[in-house]
Amino acid sequence: MTAGGDLPERVLVVRCPGWPVTDREPGQAGDGADPGGGTVRDGGPEAPEFGQVVSLVEGFCPRVEVLHPGACAIGARGPARYFGGEGALAAKIIEAVTGGGFACQVGIADGLFAAVLAAEHAQRSRGTRRARPGAVMRVAPGRTRAFLARFPVSVLDIPDLADLLPRLGIRTLGEFASLPAAEVANRFGTPGVIAHRLARGLGRRPLAPRPPSADLSVGQEFDPPAGQAEPVVFAAKALAQRMHDGLAASGLACVRVQVQVVWGSGREITRLWRHDGLLSALAVAERVRWQLAGWQDGQAGQGGQDGQAGQDGQAGQGDDAAQAGGITMLRLTPDQLVRDQGQQLGLWGDAVVSDRLARAAIRVQAMLGHGAVTRPVRAGGRGPAEQVTLVPFGDTDDRAPRQAGPGRASRTGEPGCTREPGRTDGPGSEDRPWPGRIPAPSPATVYPAPLPARITDDSGATVAVSGRGVVSAAPARMSADGTPWMAITAWTGPWPVTERWWRPRAARRRARFQLVTEDGAAWLVALQDGGWLIEARYD
Amino acid sequence: MAGLASWLPRRHDEDTVPDGGRLPVLPALRGLLPGGLKRGTVVAVGHWGLLCLAVAAGASAAGAWCAAVGLPQFGVAAAADAGLDPGRLLLIPDPGAGWPQVVASLLDGCELVLLRPPGQPPVQMRSRLAATLRRRGGVLVVAGGWDDAQARLVVVRQEWAGIGAGHGRLRARRVQVAVDGRGAAARSRTRWLWLPGADGSVGTVDQIPVSGQGMRDTG
Repeated sequence: MTAGGDLPERVLVVRCPGWPVTDREPGQAGDGADPGGGTVRDGGPEAPEFGQVVSLVEGFCPRVEVLHPGACAIGARGPARYFGGEGALAAKIIEAVTGGGFACQVGIADGLFAAVLAAEHAQRSRGTRRARPGAVMRVAPGRTRAFLARFPVSVLDIPDLADLLPRLGIRTLGEFASLPAAEVANRFGTPGVIAHRLARGLGRRPLAPRPPSADLSVGQEFDPPAGQAEPVVFAAKALAQRMHDGLAASGLACVRVQVQVVWGSGREITRLWRHDGLLSALAVAERVRWQLAGWQDGQAGQGGQDGQAGQDGQAGQGDDAAQAGGITMLRLTPDQLVRDQGQQLGLWGDAVVSDRLARAAIRVQAMLGHGAVTRPVRAGGRGPAEQVTLVPFGDTDDRAPRQAGPGRASRTGEPGCTREPGRTDGPGSEDRPWPGRIPAPSPATVYPAPLPARITDDSGATVAVSGRGVVSAAPARMSADGTPWMAITAWTGPWPVTERWWRPRAARRRARFQLVTEDGAAWLVALQDGGWLIEARYD
Repeated sequence: MAGLASWLPRRHDEDTVPDGGRLPVLPALRGLLPGGLKRGTVVAVGHWGLLCLAVAAGASAAGAWCAAVGLPQFGVAAAADAGLDPGRLLLIPDPGAGWPQVVASLLDGCELVLLRPPGQPPVQMRSRLAATLRRRGGVLVVAGGWDDAQARLVVVRQEWAGIGAGHGRLRARRVQVAVDGRGAAARSRTRWLWLPGADGSVGTVDQIPVSGQGMRDTG
């Protein structure tokens, strides 16, 4: 950027004495304020009260940055222009704040650092220990460096430098600022560079070299309105290419892309799609097609039609597009701009989603909804249902589920009573030890919601497990979810598990059994809160 | 140098599995499905279970993407143990009434689709899916009945090992699988398999020494 862009903006700091921050300056804190018509404030008011000051200042500028209780800052340029100059703005703010019952001083300078010093200086410059509410210290634009030159280096609030610089004979900011910047960088490193910039009346760092005004969105109007979806999708591809070119020219990537479609009837659909700098122009065009198709499906559903797009999922879009007066405008706006770090694929072993697969998955998502197509991610847990987390397709980093190759569940011995603190109930990680994990082999059928079951002993009484893990009787018969009774030919258990006992709402105590029934099927069942559940089936 | 290819993790961005005509199957299943799964065909497995996963695992291990439609109970851990790569798996647990469209769309991107249809689909729907299958060269593994399947596999007998009356645990299962079908697969065959074996994988029974003690414990 140019040197001009390096200069910090005009900042106005409102500082209220008597807040805790001034306690380190004895004689001022507690001295209170004596404003005309104001309230004397003894001691340090609580921080929340400062909110009243902030809301008063917000009357002048909606964007107020609270530095700490007792001081807040606003950008002065805009309000000053509106209220007739910085002096007039400061006077009005002081009037409002003291009118609200608070003493304050105002400092205006280039940059926050100088403005804070100016606000403090406004108080002291009267040569009296008595707080002078209503005082204003205004440093003219470009005079900040001269203003700062008188201050001791200790105001930089960097203890190392405040100690070191005076020993080197550098006592004021002016002396420090006169050192060559390169030498400062050499000798004092990054903190020194920041301090040096502050001493010279510059911002802490050069401004981010990105003009915020740059509009990277691209749009196209259709005249006559497009009655079919195809030309819009076709145009979207070219637009996406333009958008990507614009982003690339700025060295940026977008996290999401916003697709806005406007119909002749005034109807407008705006949707955000994940981008992450990974989508090709063609892929963005596909998102546009999906958005149009989703709208069309919605329309069809409302019209009482069967809502099924034809075999290839695209037929008939044009009719509906025409009904709403045709599409008149398409706009792609990159959202959440980030620096483009580049995308480097792993050298090998990454399960990269091919375009062909992504298209198929996205088409199914267009039919059923985003969450209907999922990819499994192995997670940690004891029960089979906890060992997998399903993530909607497209939400994972495509290279994230690194479960390449047949994963092998860790083999544990006979599961015993398990009490393991320190776990939350979120998906755990797979590679941690999970004592009490159900041993391999894993069941092929894991019921998403456990099935209710009844398990009885020979006498027909429901099998129970005592608090000490003793089975009341050998399980003899089982009925799964109302199905006919089957004899149990082999069983093992109980494997008690006490999970998340430290969190009452998520706590769970289960006693698990493995059973084999007379038809040869094997089951993983659990007794919880007196009821039997079928968790999984080994088939 | 044949060992090198298996030593290096393979890149998965290849769109198709080599060997145009057939998808590979696990070595243990070669006796039942000689040559693998013929592209463009349907393989029916009597019921949902590990056998379905085993049929699909060979293709997945070779780099194919798999989708499982209508299977909310899909056991991912068991699939991984059988050799199916969960990193190349899409799950569509609830395809709704439009499941034929869902399957057809998925066949565009996946080479193997596991399906549990809500019921026996009508002839017209089956023939339309068959046409899509042939066009895309995919394989549809159906858990349940499917009239004109190329091959039909069923578990005839099963015996669990390692579990007794109040002791032990499920360790392995010996199953007898029968296959029949059309064309080259017309001759009916049966094989004994470890499904799963002691480490969750699938093996033929003669590959894994049988522990007589364990077998006596089964029901």
